[in-house]
Amino acid sequence: MSVIDYATADGLALVGAVRARRTSALEICELALARIAARNPALNAFTHVLAEQARADAARVDATIAGGGDPGPLAGLPFAVKNLFDVGGLTTLAGSKINASHPPARRDAAAVRALRRAGGVLLGTLNMDEYAYGFTTENTHYGPTRNPHDASRVAGGSSGGSGAAVGAGLVPLTLGSDTNGSIRVPAALCGVFGLKPTYGRVSRAGSVLFAPSFDHVGPLGRSVRDVAAALDAMQGPDGGDPVCASRPAEPCLPRLGEGVGDLRIAVLDGHFSRGGDASALGAVAQVAAALGAGRRVTIPEAHRARAAAMVITASEGATLHLADLRTRAQDFDPVSRDRFLAGALVPSAWYVQAQRFRAWYRERVGEIFRDVDVLLAPTTPCPAPLIGQDRIVLDGVEVLTRPNLGLYTQPLSFIGLPVLTVPVAGSGAMPLGVQIVAAPFREAHALRVGALLEGKGVAAAVISA
Amino acid sequence: MSTGLTPEELGRYVDRAAALCDLRIAPAHRPGVIQSLGGLAQAAALVAEFAIPEETEPAPVFEPAPGAEPA
Repeated sequence: MSVIDYATADGLALVGAVRARRTSALEICELALARIAARNPALNAFTHVLAEQARADAARVDATIAGGGDPGPLAGLPFAVKNLFDVGGLTTLAGSKINASHPPARRDAAAVRALRRAGGVLLGTLNMDEYAYGFTTENTHYGPTRNPHDASRVAGGSSGGSGAAVGAGLVPLTLGSDTNGSIRVPAALCGVFGLKPTYGRVSRAGSVLFAPSFDHVGPLGRSVRDVAAALDAMQGPDGGDPVCASRPAEPCLPRLGEGVGDLRIAVLDGHFSRGGDASALGAVAQVAAALGAGRRVTIPEAHRARAAAMVITASEGATLHLADLRTRAQDFDPVSRDRFLAGALVPSAWYVQAQRFRAWYRERVGEIFRDVDVLLAPTTPCPAPLIGQDRIVLDGVEVLTRPNLGLYTQPLSFIGLPVLTVPVAGSGAMPLGVQIVAAPFREAHALRVGALLEGKGVAAAVISA
Repeated sequence: MSTGLTPEELGRYVDRAAALCDLRIAPAHRPGVIQSLGGLAQAAALVAEFAIPEETEPAPVFEPAPGAEPA
């Protein structure tokens, strides 16, 4: 019997136990491997488990502690990464069949290196939508990832394995990527925390890009402090990523207890208060009430921002894969292939106008942030749909499932805002998320609000038994 | 938001633009591509119909020498 309940403790609780020598990193690693072996076959979250490497990393952490050294702020913390991150010695699949024939990566992606350098123990790689073009992780090549709270439902996507692995208690921390909502959607549908940092805050070097104008990497975790600790380990300049910001790291973990007394918080109106079902909008109301946030503000033209994001994503995504689209379109996942092909045919005027609109929209949102610090919005318009469910009814209108899961996330990643999604215990059986949106490079504001909600019990990760 | 284009008109564009891009679209994939492009055309129209100031430049900034120190 371990001194710690692996399935429910958050990552930093495990780190604390390892550092205090109440348990060992190796024991935690074995608990993680056992849980993955027991639960993953039904979930299909992991595509590769790195048992021996993980044991070696964990043993190294234990040896450092035994020798009186500092094993790092994430000592012994088990984590796993979406399979678009390079992991030295493994082929980087990015959810595709095409990339399976590529040679193994020579070294870890920058974000993976940062977490391992901080003492994290990498357990493996995780399923996703092919090339990140989707919100459901119904991957035809590798099978769908199932929601840990109802195996008949999707885990969300495109970082579906990353959401399910945390929601099922396989590992307390994962990495995902978010272009239009791909961290936030699975985090919300699986009942965990997910942080999409500011565009450029965390290096994307060594990860497979999808639409470089919007690509971000970030953590999903069991607690606010876990995602804050992961952000702190990863953030900072990196010449290996041309869009990585040159500003120095601004640690967030030490600021979680500051409260929210100085923050002006408002609920997003307009686009973000329409088209969702009652439970999604109710979750926002619940969070707003807990924060005493009665004010409402409107981001103008958010629906056009979403449309512009779609055009830019399709065009940039297709351009990255054009060579394979020309020669082996049949090897793409049928779920996304036609969208990639269509993206290759986007006229340049559509693309450039969408980028010009993006600049206009950034200015308008910047004006809003002069008067407010934090904005609240639903993460998804509904709880997790069934696997294979092509259409959902939102606000009385039948719409396509896959694109509409990003209804509320796309207009925010479009301009690179930092967003924390927090799991809210709603009225239904399935989890829902609420987006806590801050001004660029103000992740600490969103995380402080998240920590307060977690402390009040309004937000809490839901880990399946 | 409608673009006013019929699936046939979109289909003709798909065939010609694909040829220009050296992209062969298999007959089995063509209907899905037309449908996807139709969706993108609607999205693009929603952006295009909104007037933004002429001087608004796209957001990306190209740096001729990223990271270079001043001389």
